[in-house]
Amino acid sequence: MISLRPYVMVQAGSALAALSLVASPALGQDVPSQAEQTRAAQAMAQAQSQPQGAPDSPQAGGQLRLPPGASGSPPPGVLLGPVLTPAQKKVAALPPPAPGLIPPRPPLPKDAAMPSADPRDLQGTWVHNQPLMFRSQNDMYGAAAPYTMAGANVISRRVMSLKDGKPFINASAICRPPGPQWQRDLNFPFLIVQAKDHIEVIFEEYHGRWYISLDPNGAGLPTQKQYMGRSIGRWDGSTLVVETNDFKQALWLDVDGTPLSAQGKLIQRIRKVDVAGQVPYLEIVTTIVDPTYYTNPWSIVRTFGWAPHQAVFAEYNCEEQVGDPSVSADAGLVPEPKD
Amino acid sequence: MNRGKRVIALRAMVAGAMLSVAGTGMAQQAMPDFEGVWKIATPTASLKPVSGAVPFTAEGLKSYEANKASRGKGNIDDYDITLSRCSNPGVPRLALTPMRFKIWNRQGVVTFDYEWNRALRQINVGVPPQPDLMGQGLVPTMTGKSKGHWEGNTLVSVMDGGSDRTLIDDLIPHGYDLKVTERYRLIDANTLEDRITIEDPETFTRPWDAVVTYKRQPDAIFAEDICLDRLAAKQPAFPK
Repeated sequence: MISLRPYVMVQAGSALAALSLVASPALGQDVPSQAEQTRAAQAMAQAQSQPQGAPDSPQAGGQLRLPPGASGSPPPGVLLGPVLTPAQKKVAALPPPAPGLIPPRPPLPKDAAMPSADPRDLQGTWVHNQPLMFRSQNDMYGAAAPYTMAGANVISRRVMSLKDGKPFINASAICRPPGPQWQRDLNFPFLIVQAKDHIEVIFEEYHGRWYISLDPNGAGLPTQKQYMGRSIGRWDGSTLVVETNDFKQALWLDVDGTPLSAQGKLIQRIRKVDVAGQVPYLEIVTTIVDPTYYTNPWSIVRTFGWAPHQAVFAEYNCEEQVGDPSVSADAGLVPEPKD
Repeated sequence: MNRGKRVIALRAMVAGAMLSVAGTGMAQQAMPDFEGVWKIATPTASLKPVSGAVPFTAEGLKSYEANKASRGKGNIDDYDITLSRCSNPGVPRLALTPMRFKIWNRQGVVTFDYEWNRALRQINVGVPPQPDLMGQGLVPTMTGKSKGHWEGNTLVSVMDGGSDRTLIDDLIPHGYDLKVTERYRLIDANTLEDRITIEDPETFTRPWDAVVTYKRQPDAIFAEDICLDRLAAKQPAFPK
């Protein structure tokens, strides 16, 4: 369990962040449902119930701690957390994901230009500023992802293929667009440009483009299904709500292969968080809607730092390597069995 | 003015108006309105010198003839990994892509946002050098490093540091010492000119110039263009 601890701490932090956000509906967040509040409270209880004083206990500041002498155990009869379904138990039993890291990036210069003060102007260069999460096992409140057994089977197959040293081919391995969630998660910069009726996100990696039409009649989306899906956005106060579906193929939502079927949908709530005295950052809450692999919609949250000094992108040219006849075309990966 | 031209002109005006609004928050610089969607006016696979023939050195001519021979034999990967693998065509060949591209002038960077295979090329006009913490600058790239500045209404870009795995066009080779100077200017609101100067002492006896022009297109969301899917379907890397 030691290797899980950083992940647990991230989740606990996310739960706290989520709680602080939902406490301020005026900022553009929806008021949480009763179920969401219950999940958040359960996440808090789980975080608080972590054994204290163990050798691998976190020592850094900012984490949840109990008063000296407190056992951390709830009173008898109090529910510790949600009861896992057989599918969730199967996922919980998998080897833990690798700990995420943030690649080294130059700090924001003191004289850097700041983002627009307009909350509906998201333009500029941003970069994911949290450690890369190889596998999203929990929602933003810390509850286990609501896998169906079909979904559990897919993620289990993918994780075990890594453990067995025979990882499966996915879109990124063959230079195909890996989908908006994977693109955003990578700790590489992206540029947002806006027009009146559409928004374009240009990613450094994978030749990534994420087009969001704000007016499908004025800014028509491609008629064909796209690897990145077809995205339609609308403003909800200061939050841009984007629904993405019509994927050309099923997606891996992260490096380990958290699945989204081709019929799935992503709902992204994007807002610029401007706290006085701090550099604004971008927050994206992604709700995953996919009855094929999940019993309920579930949400994850990421934040992105302002990075105008990283506006000059490194070149991404995977085709040169993938097409090299002197190397293995599949890079040692194996085709994934069909469901 | 026919309806199509009126629509393009109107969109250009609207785009300009929107940019001026966006500029209040994004420190947009007062520059010619290069932003928008463009497409090569006269599609071609070859970069023709403004005058005379390409001034090959003996070594350059030898490489050029070798490329022609490889093409004749169908050994495409031996000389052109853009056609065989969909590798980025590099600078200046990207200027010849037959599909549309967008230009964004933001945050001190002019970004060429190509429809073809979602390729990218950027000209750094104002971003100070950053520490290369991941060592990415050590490897030559297809698009090299382009540094730009404005001379009046002309954007001048100088590219070097490019890989020798690219071609100038569909056949003309170059070495590591390639230097490409481009001068972009608006001929009119809907016509963009790229005057290109090619220098590479290993391949050419003297600098030589070529000119490519582009016509403004209606703003649009591009459909995903996946070059590798075309190759998988036995279609050419550059669509006809």
